[in-house]
Amino acid sequence: MASLRVRRLLGPGRRWFSETVPGAPSPPASPLYPPVVASITAKSKAAKSRRLQRFNQRVHAAATVEEKLRLYGKLQRPKYTVYPQTFALNADRWYRSFTKTVLVPGMPPRAAAAKRSVATAGATPEAGRAPEPAAVEAPAAVEAPAAVEAPGAAEAPGAAEASGAAKTSEPAAGAAPYLDIGELRSLACDALLQESFYQKKKRPFLYRDQDHTPGPFLTQLVSTLAASLSSRNPLLAACSLDLNPEVNYYWHHGEEVVVHGHRKGRVDPVRFQIDDNPHLQIRVPKQLPEVVPLESDLGDVPVIDHKPSKLPLFKKQYENKVFIGSKVADPCCYGHTQFHLLPDKLKRERFIRERLEDQIEVVYRSNGIASLFAWTAAQAMYQGFWSEADVSRPFVSQAVVTDGKYFAFFCYQLNTLALTAETIKNNPRKNICWGTDSKPLYDVVEDGNVKGFNDEVLLQLIRFLLNRPKEL
Amino acid sequence: CVPGVRQAQWLTKTKLVEGLPPAVQAIVDNPALGLQELEERAKHVVSHARLWDTAEAAPRREKYCPVLFENLIHLCRSMSGKYPSLSKRMLARNCRIAATWERESILLQVRGLSGILMNSMTPIPPVASQEEILATKEHVLETFYPIAPTIDLQEVNVYKELNDTGQCFRDGYPYSHPHTLFFLESANARTDRFRPEQLRAKMLMFAFGNALAKAKALHGNDPKVLEQPVVVQSIGTDGQLFQFMVFQLNTTDLVSNDGVKNLVWIDSDQNLYERAQCVPEVKKRVVVKPAGISGFQPDTFKKFLALYLHGTV
Repeated sequence: MASLRVRRLLGPGRRWFSETVPGAPSPPASPLYPPVVASITAKSKAAKSRRLQRFNQRVHAAATVEEKLRLYGKLQRPKYTVYPQTFALNADRWYRSFTKTVLVPGMPPRAAAAKRSVATAGATPEAGRAPEPAAVEAPAAVEAPAAVEAPGAAEAPGAAEASGAAKTSEPAAGAAPYLDIGELRSLACDALLQESFYQKKKRPFLYRDQDHTPGPFLTQLVSTLAASLSSRNPLLAACSLDLNPEVNYYWHHGEEVVVHGHRKGRVDPVRFQIDDNPHLQIRVPKQLPEVVPLESDLGDVPVIDHKPSKLPLFKKQYENKVFIGSKVADPCCYGHTQFHLLPDKLKRERFIRERLEDQIEVVYRSNGIASLFAWTAAQAMYQGFWSEADVSRPFVSQAVVTDGKYFAFFCYQLNTLALTAETIKNNPRKNICWGTDSKPLYDVVEDGNVKGFNDEVLLQLIRFLLNRPKEL
Repeated sequence: CVPGVRQAQWLTKTKLVEGLPPAVQAIVDNPALGLQELEERAKHVVSHARLWDTAEAAPRREKYCPVLFENLIHLCRSMSGKYPSLSKRMLARNCRIAATWERESILLQVRGLSGILMNSMTPIPPVASQEEILATKEHVLETFYPIAPTIDLQEVNVYKELNDTGQCFRDGYPYSHPHTLFFLESANARTDRFRPEQLRAKMLMFAFGNALAKAKALHGNDPKVLEQPVVVQSIGTDGQLFQFMVFQLNTTDLVSNDGVKNLVWIDSDQNLYERAQCVPEVKKRVVVKPAGISGFQPDTFKKFLALYLHGTV
């Protein structure tokens, strides 16, 4: 009966709608129903992505950096422990693929420009790079023209040399501070002689040769050089020098299917953790300048089709730490230079004995790449960036890897933290690592004399220590 | 052996003067050194060692004591930009010291690992004037009758009388003058650490040992009064409390109780800071003690730096 009455009410010309204004109905001011989204707790892909999104929002919205780091590493699962100092064959290729790093042999172009100008100053008759205490033009005075030209720009050699030589002669007339290579060389030789010759020590403990002589020598060398160069580099005057600090970093890269256990069959990100103990660390309150722009592409990242466990790399589950050497509250939160000492297990004679001479350089390279990636990435996390919030400026740090006699120099520029499976898809940026081969600092120490001292290595070390932002 | 300072004074024939010598005090009070800017950095350095250095909540004494020392030395070394002769110093760790001498027919010997030794190419000039040295002739050494002065010392049969700091370094070492000895009491448990009194005595004995060895190397083994007294400094700390000591060896004639005595200036129990709070202490939802370093005393750092700069400024 109700329907007959309704039909009569619904006669022609009668409207059923409550509004009397003709035209399209206006949309309601606020949605009548909540948005239809996937469930949070269901066992489905949509639910998983919704949980991930909620987690990302939680980390984005964290109030302090410590809270962000705590949430980032809250979930503990089995992860691969990556050791920077490793005997694995061709480890540096694997590490480059884990960290999306391009390896460029040699030193970055800005250092090369300074080297060229220093070499031209050597060509001029007044101040050659003679072995006797000769005054070499301070890299500070040289870097001024280099900075004016443009960092990393490979100018036509003629123009650079001409302007370099012209500008170097000008400050030479003025009161520019000369870098006395002779004095720094004598400081280095004194440190070496004290540790290896003059101080009477007991015999080294078994397999602990590195703690007996090269370790103390490296500490002495760096501390005395840093102190004497602090007048030239105000960043070194405000730096924090740490012995045996800890550097940790935790990240995801790639995806895999869980093989066994109650989570079998699920797709999981591949987790990595680096726990590193450099011998010495210099941290500064201001960041080092970028070497090349953020989006530069200097080479290819190796692609490895095998599982990381084939390297060999093993999984363990423990605390996910991200640490640069001191807590977030420290004002010296940017890295400058790290010094790594290779342990006895990885000494050159061992590789030569096992006929693996080409792996000697691999050891230095893998140590440089892994340690520097961990350090720069941890510095970036301390500034609030992470894999979902990629870095807006490149983070640059340097490292020296040595076994007491042979030194290899590395410079790393972190351009991207986005290495997880989703964020790496549309990410064209790559991290860049410049590295040299290992060169000896001296030939042999006998009877209180250092024979065959190599000035090149010392100069490179000094250049590393003098690196600073352009404003300073 | 752990003698008190009074016993150590008798054993080394030394007269004690409280406070730092005037030469060092002059460096502390000298405004031209720019010690004010360093205060800020010293505070940072203390915060780093005590609060920020570890991934755990709070660093333990075994970690923060050496780290604090290294940071303070790094701060002092960075002054070598202003004073280039500061680069003529070298730190030596794990030095073994050995020195022998006779006191009233008792043969005494000091041996052991003496912490960290800083050597320099040039000796420290004598701190006390000639009159003061001659005035010590009047001073009478305190005896402990009826206690023998060698109480608590270990009696051993010595077959070889070892006698030089050359024992630690070979001949021809360019940094031949011991400048300052550093003692770090960094054991975690309080029972393993030396109490301040014992630490001061240990500092005195080792400073004396180094000075005696240097004097015998320079002037020979005969006991006599030195025309050029040998000065060795010593700093001891447990991470918070600092003991400063300047020792001047005036004579190697130690058999008799009369004559010129050696001199030591001791500035004891200087606190660098009052408290280092890693996590703020909260009682009933109110922050009672905020996190950070409280009660920082810049004077203690100034004295540390003054002892470091002594001899070159």
